[in-house]
Amino acid sequence: MKPGASPLLDSAVISRLLALPLNARQAMTGSVSGRHRSPVRGSSVEFAQYRKYVPGDDTRRLDWRTWGRTDRFYIKEFEADTNLRMGLVVDASGSMAYGPAGATRLDYARKLAGTLGYLAARQGDAVGLWGVGRDHRGKLPAKRGAGHLRLIIEQLTALEAKGETTLLESLHEAADQIPQRALIVVVSDFFIAPAGLKQALQHLRFRRHEVALFHVLDPVELDFKFERPARFVDMEGGETILADPALVARRYQEVVRKYLFEMDEVIRTTGIDYQRVMLQEPFEEVLARFLLARLQSKGRR
Amino acid sequence: MSFLAPLLLFGLPLALLPVIIHLIHLRRRKQVPWAAMMFLMAAQKMNKGLSKLRQYLILAFRVLAVLALILMIGRPLAGGLLGLTGGAPDSVIILLDRSASTEQQLLTTGTGKRLAGLRNLAAAVKDAYGTRSKLVLIDSATRQPVPLENAEALTDLPRTGPTDTASDIPALLQGALDYISTNQTGRTDVWLVSDLRESDWNARGGRWPALRAAFASLQGIRFQILAYPETAAGDLGIAVSGVTRRETADKAELLLDLRLHRAGDAPAEPQTIPLRVVVNGAGSTLNAEMKGNQVLLQAQAIPIDKSTKRGWGRVELPADAGPADNVFHFVFDAPPVLKSVIVSDQPDMAGPVQAALSAPADPSRTYDAGVLPVARAAEIVWEETALIVWQAALPEADSATARQLEAHLAAGRSLLFLPPATPTADTFMGVRWQSWQDAPDNQPVLVDWWRSDAGLLAGTRAGAALPVGETGVQRWCSLEGEIIPLARLGEKGGNHTVLGQASRDGGRGPWFLTTLPSAGSSSLARDGVVLFALLHRALQEGAATLGNARQLEAAMGSLGPEPAAWTRLDLDNPETILPEDRPLRAGVLERPSAVAGSPPRLTALNRPLEEDAPAVIGRPVLDELFAGLDWRLIERTLDNEKSLTSEVWRTFLTLMAAALVLEALLSMPDRKSAAAAKPAGLKPNPA
Repeated sequence: MKPGASPLLDSAVISRLLALPLNARQAMTGSVSGRHRSPVRGSSVEFAQYRKYVPGDDTRRLDWRTWGRTDRFYIKEFEADTNLRMGLVVDASGSMAYGPAGATRLDYARKLAGTLGYLAARQGDAVGLWGVGRDHRGKLPAKRGAGHLRLIIEQLTALEAKGETTLLESLHEAADQIPQRALIVVVSDFFIAPAGLKQALQHLRFRRHEVALFHVLDPVELDFKFERPARFVDMEGGETILADPALVARRYQEVVRKYLFEMDEVIRTTGIDYQRVMLQEPFEEVLARFLLARLQSKGRR
Repeated sequence: MSFLAPLLLFGLPLALLPVIIHLIHLRRRKQVPWAAMMFLMAAQKMNKGLSKLRQYLILAFRVLAVLALILMIGRPLAGGLLGLTGGAPDSVIILLDRSASTEQQLLTTGTGKRLAGLRNLAAAVKDAYGTRSKLVLIDSATRQPVPLENAEALTDLPRTGPTDTASDIPALLQGALDYISTNQTGRTDVWLVSDLRESDWNARGGRWPALRAAFASLQGIRFQILAYPETAAGDLGIAVSGVTRRETADKAELLLDLRLHRAGDAPAEPQTIPLRVVVNGAGSTLNAEMKGNQVLLQAQAIPIDKSTKRGWGRVELPADAGPADNVFHFVFDAPPVLKSVIVSDQPDMAGPVQAALSAPADPSRTYDAGVLPVARAAEIVWEETALIVWQAALPEADSATARQLEAHLAAGRSLLFLPPATPTADTFMGVRWQSWQDAPDNQPVLVDWWRSDAGLLAGTRAGAALPVGETGVQRWCSLEGEIIPLARLGEKGGNHTVLGQASRDGGRGPWFLTTLPSAGSSSLARDGVVLFALLHRALQEGAATLGNARQLEAAMGSLGPEPAAWTRLDLDNPETILPEDRPLRAGVLERPSAVAGSPPRLTALNRPLEEDAPAVIGRPVLDELFAGLDWRLIERTLDNEKSLTSEVWRTFLTLMAAALVLEALLSMPDRKSAAAAKPAGLKPNPA
């Protein structure tokens, strides 16, 4: 699949981002050889360690020079490189429809996830998709190949923001159902209790998944800057609230500050990759920032 | 509270406009799809109590502002004095004190208390009650209820004009009570306009408890007392206590006994007061030097023509704040025979009394003292007798004799009762003889206390006291009934009354001497002086209404049943005084004699002298008099021209402004909110 084949894939952006590889921060257990480190020893050229021989080891891996010097048998081990499994979790609840038509939070999330998926597929990684929402519970397992990427892009394009969020359920499901180590990229507004999110993230970490969060917000949602009292309708189908910004703005901002503080606390304690994104930011910059940060800390085994 | 433009009050529902607009706005608020609902809900929850309260307060202040605006343009009338009267009562009874003292005026405006009270009351009644209540006027002079068409009529009615009478406030209230009871007036406001003079209110009188109880038994009666208790300091008053025509070989003159008095503190320096004396229309001036607060001028000689045997006149003071006591009218004529009758079956008692009454106290007068047995009491010449000394059992109640004695008293004559040999159970004006008592150890008991400032035992004109204390009493007859004591025995005599006067509504009552003057009962006859003074003073008082020239106090009925038959002599246009007002106004009046050839009768009407006493009752006394009743005292002074009701739109304007300011303050976002409305400065990415 070529860039520009879908509105989600901006060829100019992709061509600029291709220079930045997508690295995993921890060892991955891929199915084929790739550019990411594997937790198992392999046959690459990069020396890993010496280990004592035990019966049953392949005698071809004995280091004869060490035997000659020490009269002991050591096995010489080398790093194994494998591919990465990336699971894209895109929130498609009603609140993701926030924003002007054509530039909603979901549109932003689609582009972000689509571009990231393309970049991963381009370097031979497997990409899967988990839709989040009452009406979007379908999931595509991580696979390699252009055909599968097309399928993911189509699925992303078909997402519609509606209904209540099922993000926490989906994250727990992902933790349970993705069998091998993977990079789980979540794009959402995270309008959920940080305590619940922390549990889901810990679940993912327990299953040795690497997690990256893209927290997409609008500045208006943080400042609550409105001139007049208005009737605020819940985009996820809840109640309607009549509020006077002059009266509630201060309290609102207090609540937001508290929420963000709790989110930061969750991020700090779970040690995951977190990107707070303003809806007005170009997604290219967000992705560049994301990829560059990963260059500096290439995956440990 | 009432309104000058009450129709505008139909706009009161407009006060709900802010609420309606608020509800409309609620429906028309812009809808904003909102994703971060969890934050908004939490903020609303935190803000809920205060925010709701604030919203309700803002709404309440808006409603209040509109309400105040509507009430303001309705031109509300109220006053701290009228207050919120709680709607118009069924009836409003106006009790007007028309006594002479209510003519006290403010010199700068010439407005008297009565007129100021009427004007204030008329405006207040009109404003507060409008035409919703039935108005009734009862004035102190006539005490007849008069229905009023409207409150404005109060100042124009002859019934509310000035008089020189005294007021009997308990009787006035009794009139209101009778009217309320007879007419079943329902919820009634009783307005009483008065200057609170002690003499008019008679707070110690026995009628108050009954009145209080009667009013307390009625429902919905409310008293409003509009009082002008202020007294005029330095107000001068004049009174003529005696007029005698004296003729010598070469001249004739009138001898006037004058009493000049001043209200309030006396000036440090003596003052010369010019007195204008008018006799039969001709005036002259007399200067009186006044030290202190009172001066008595005895036998001031005013020359008159020798041919003037009878006539009239007056003494005038310069104008001051109290016009009613600036003039005193008098008449003079050939003095009548001072006739007295002793009714007794005991010659030993009648003898000394007859001797005392026959002895002339004034050589220029003729004295005639007769004795009649009780059985011949009907032979008394009532019209010519000034004093009756009754030493017999009291006449039976409602008997012809009792009625004649009462009429005798009512005509201003004197009546002195002495104890009979055998007391009976009969009463006269509530008083009856009880039983004879002897002094302990048959030793005479001396009189211990007597009233020396006024009454029959007062000191002499020179100021010397009568030797009443030397009078010994060996036996006395005790009394039962309401008696004002004038002399009492010492403790040995059980403080029994020796001389007393029965109280009588609206006039003098008879005197009761509880011992006999004869030897064996008292030393009165033996000492003589006290008995002589006592009898001659009683005779003199009773003689004041004898003859063709009489000095009377202005009062309803003082001119008899035909006041129209009397003509004012001292006025250029006597017809300006209505016939029914003639008994009420001070002046000199003349009436043709019923007997052909006889000279016309002359009468000088003057204010009752108790009207000169400036003492007023205070709030504590009123509290006592109206205890248990719904009443309110509204005190005013003559220089206070503030209406009882006033337009209070300014209050509502202030209220509206205050409501709007408060509404604005509450509507403004507080500082913290304003600061929070700035960009939050939240880091886009904490990493």
